[in-house]
Amino acid sequence: MNGKRQLGNRILLGLGFALMVAALYMVFIYAPTEKNTGIVQRIFYFHVPVAWVSFLAFFVTFVASILYLAKREMKWDAVACASAEVGVIFTTLVLLTGPIWAKAAWGIWWTWDARLTTSLVLWLIYIAYLLVRSLAPEADRSARYSAVIGIVGFIDVPIVFIAVNLWRTQHPSTIIFSGGLTGEMLQTLVVCIAAFTVLYILLVMQSAGLKRMEAAIQRLRSLQEE
Amino acid sequence: MKKTFGKIFVIFWKDMLTEIRSREMIIPVLVFALLVLVIFSFAFGTGADTAAPGVLWVALTFGGVTGLNRVFAVEKENSRMEGLMLCPVDRAVIYWGKVAGSFTFMLALALVVTPIFLALFNLPLFLPGLALIIALALLGFAAVGTLFSAMAVNTRAREILLPILFLPVVVPVIIAAVQATGPVLAGMPWEEMVIYLQIITAFDIIYLVAATLVFEFVIEE
Amino acid sequence: MENLGYLLAAYTVIWAVVFGYVFLMQRRQRQLQRQLDKLQKTAEK
Repeated sequence: MNGKRQLGNRILLGLGFALMVAALYMVFIYAPTEKNTGIVQRIFYFHVPVAWVSFLAFFVTFVASILYLAKREMKWDAVACASAEVGVIFTTLVLLTGPIWAKAAWGIWWTWDARLTTSLVLWLIYIAYLLVRSLAPEADRSARYSAVIGIVGFIDVPIVFIAVNLWRTQHPSTIIFSGGLTGEMLQTLVVCIAAFTVLYILLVMQSAGLKRMEAAIQRLRSLQEE
Repeated sequence: MKKTFGKIFVIFWKDMLTEIRSREMIIPVLVFALLVLVIFSFAFGTGADTAAPGVLWVALTFGGVTGLNRVFAVEKENSRMEGLMLCPVDRAVIYWGKVAGSFTFMLALALVVTPIFLALFNLPLFLPGLALIIALALLGFAAVGTLFSAMAVNTRAREILLPILFLPVVVPVIIAAVQATGPVLAGMPWEEMVIYLQIITAFDIIYLVAATLVFEFVIEE
Repeated sequence: MENLGYLLAAYTVIWAVVFGYVFLMQRRQRQLQRQLDKLQKTAEK
């Protein structure tokens, strides 16, 4: 069992590395320079996959939370928490790279556009998720509570997006992201999405492993105290 | 079915009676909401079309959160949570009873804050459209806030945890409420704000259902 | 070419955060492993 897991891990690691190298090549050499905003547009090739992966992460937290409440196996709690943690990190990256790109391309840091604003709200919801875990006293309670937040927070996502979208179409900013994607650009984007998805999987596996170690230590400690 | 309503009403009425007799919650929260109203008027100016909707909703939101903090605090402080749990009722019944209580509380808050707000901004006092927006939005607040209050009450730093959980999740309600309030205050026709009311209503339904399903996990000991 | 600075900033941020997280996880893993070993030892006594 352990051997197979080691092998799977190695394969993922190799695959991830290969994808990242391919992504770097494609982003900087293969993809053509966009005519409107120039070289800075290449941030897009990392900004969009990171955003997509952050949504994936919170979806995984959603599913793992449901599974935890249904089955009460700690491994689902570990996955939910790890995915939320990685999700917050990736959302932070979205919120950092988005403004850098916006400032370079259009001169302003923040445009209150629907997708970035939804990411901001998502970031706040899942930071609350992590805070509850640290503030709830016992392991069982923190797992239960954060599972509830993982479920209830995720169903908010479409509603937030719709509300913000409606708000922004009524008060649009002057920035419009125009221009289509050529074939090479699309290929680059797909490779980058794949690369970041593998990175996500690796990070969650590592983080979930750590959470399970922590849980095991807690259990051993409380056993020894008896 | 009728029995369930009866049980919900019992829980609701117990909280109502406690509050009516002591009035220890409604008055301070009301004063706080009025203070928020005034301070934000200073902060954002008194332009009826630009600042007004935001000022009203900030007052109702922060007043509401402060009130929601207390939904389960009474039970927790007097260790009556176990008593509540021992009642042979479906956990959802407890949730709905508490939601009814929070909703009524926030409605009472709005009943005082809103006319004062309208007067401060020199707006017409009879606005049924505004009443509808407020009712729907506060229902959403109650649905989400009651669930999170049950969680927050069992953690350290409970007073700050509730707003941290609650505010991001109700962002759509706040956005929609503010956007719907603007046209109503300006006397514009119904169509302008119907879409926002739909968003708030959808939010209410989704969260009432979701919280009902999930509440038992929060309150089990 | 003046926007190169921004491009560089964005990529640096990404790698800094990702590697920072990985580094923190490695450190946490070492801590936990030490605790686990200690517990094993006291259990064996």
